[in-house]
Amino acid sequence: MSTKQLKLKIITPEKTIFEEMVDSVTIPTTEGEIGVFPHHIPLVSALASGDIVAKRGDEVIPMAVSGGFIEVKPSEDGGTEVAILADFAEHVADISDEALVAAKTRAEELQKMKDNGEVVNFEQFESELARSLTRVKIADKWRGKKYRI
Amino acid sequence: MAAGKELKRRIKSIKNTKKITKAMELVSASKMKRAIAATLASRAYAGYSWEVLQSLAEYVSETQNPLLTVRPAKKMLVILITSNRSLCGGYNAQVTRKTIAFLREHVGQHIDFISVGSKGESNLRRLGQNIVASFNTVSDTPKLADVYSIGNLALDMYKNGEYDRVYVAYTDFVSALTQLPQIATLLPVKREEVAAEIVEAKATAPKNAINYTFEPDYETLMSMIVEKIARMRVYQMILESTASEHSARMLAMKNASDAAGEMIDDLTLAFNKARQAGITQEISEISAGMASVS
Repeated sequence: MSTKQLKLKIITPEKTIFEEMVDSVTIPTTEGEIGVFPHHIPLVSALASGDIVAKRGDEVIPMAVSGGFIEVKPSEDGGTEVAILADFAEHVADISDEALVAAKTRAEELQKMKDNGEVVNFEQFESELARSLTRVKIADKWRGKKYRI
Repeated sequence: MAAGKELKRRIKSIKNTKKITKAMELVSASKMKRAIAATLASRAYAGYSWEVLQSLAEYVSETQNPLLTVRPAKKMLVILITSNRSLCGGYNAQVTRKTIAFLREHVGQHIDFISVGSKGESNLRRLGQNIVASFNTVSDTPKLADVYSIGNLALDMYKNGEYDRVYVAYTDFVSALTQLPQIATLLPVKREEVAAEIVEAKATAPKNAINYTFEPDYETLMSMIVEKIARMRVYQMILESTASEHSARMLAMKNASDAAGEMIDDLTLAFNKARQAGITQEISEISAGMASVS
């Protein structure tokens, strides 16, 4: 089985969010969404905001990510290793309803600030807005769907 | 017994102080543990990003990327990381002293500061240095989002050519007993440094170069990753400093508790002696009185 699976790691500067063997994984990159299966060619790419969906058997494991890059490379034991270095990553199940409401309000607030042109720190603001929007979007997308935590 | 009463009052007050210092010691110990755990957790990210950077570096020449180009150092920016609160022994003083030494080495050159932590800010003001930005809201357990803007600010100013060098004065956490104030170069990122970091951070990295496909292209990826690494380093240095701060405070509070304990012992001894002297005196007075009566 081991050669038919790939090792998926999702790492943020704060901690390692996810480290497991999975069958395949879908990753949003700046060039479009890509699917990575075992024996994928070595690849380095920029990560876009969105959801990473790992599949193992019938299980799907969704995770919200925002900003970063990915590295696909052969691991030492001959398998495939996918390292996702994200600025922010979260299990969809960890996005609680309260956090979601807060994120929504925050996103609206930020959007209003942007419209009024009262933003000084543009880059941080952009990433924060992207993160809030991603959380809301991804949580909405997966609401009511079946997935593994 | 007036002296006895006075002693008793002092013993009581020192006992209260000891309780406080002891509590602060324990709080700092647990905060230190958390800061160390966060530092370790950020190492995995560091290891991977340096590794990716190295494989990229083979394709990109140094001169093309401003973040990797060493410009002649005309204007310099120093990010000074200190604590917001005191009662942490020589923690702030040490890193400030290091900064003063740095200023002496670069006399006549233009140096501006970004201060993180209010103690460093007031020290810099006393030294008459120019502070371009000051961040006093970094918490005891810093999150990436909290320090994101600090790294961004430094990156922007470097990219705009406002500064040719960016340094960070921080306290390296060696162990709970040893903290080392240091000044590290944040920007530009040097190629030798990249190689050294990889050796340090990732012993397990495969030695043979992997032929990666790069998307979108080297240049874009390169500057993106270098920026991320710079931001991550600021985050890591703040974590290191936080761990150092807490361990310095823990040690200072431990010393204070020990000193309070000794003081209590001394005062208790003095109190007992005074009490004994009082009793002896009373007995001798009574027996003298009895002798005169009989």
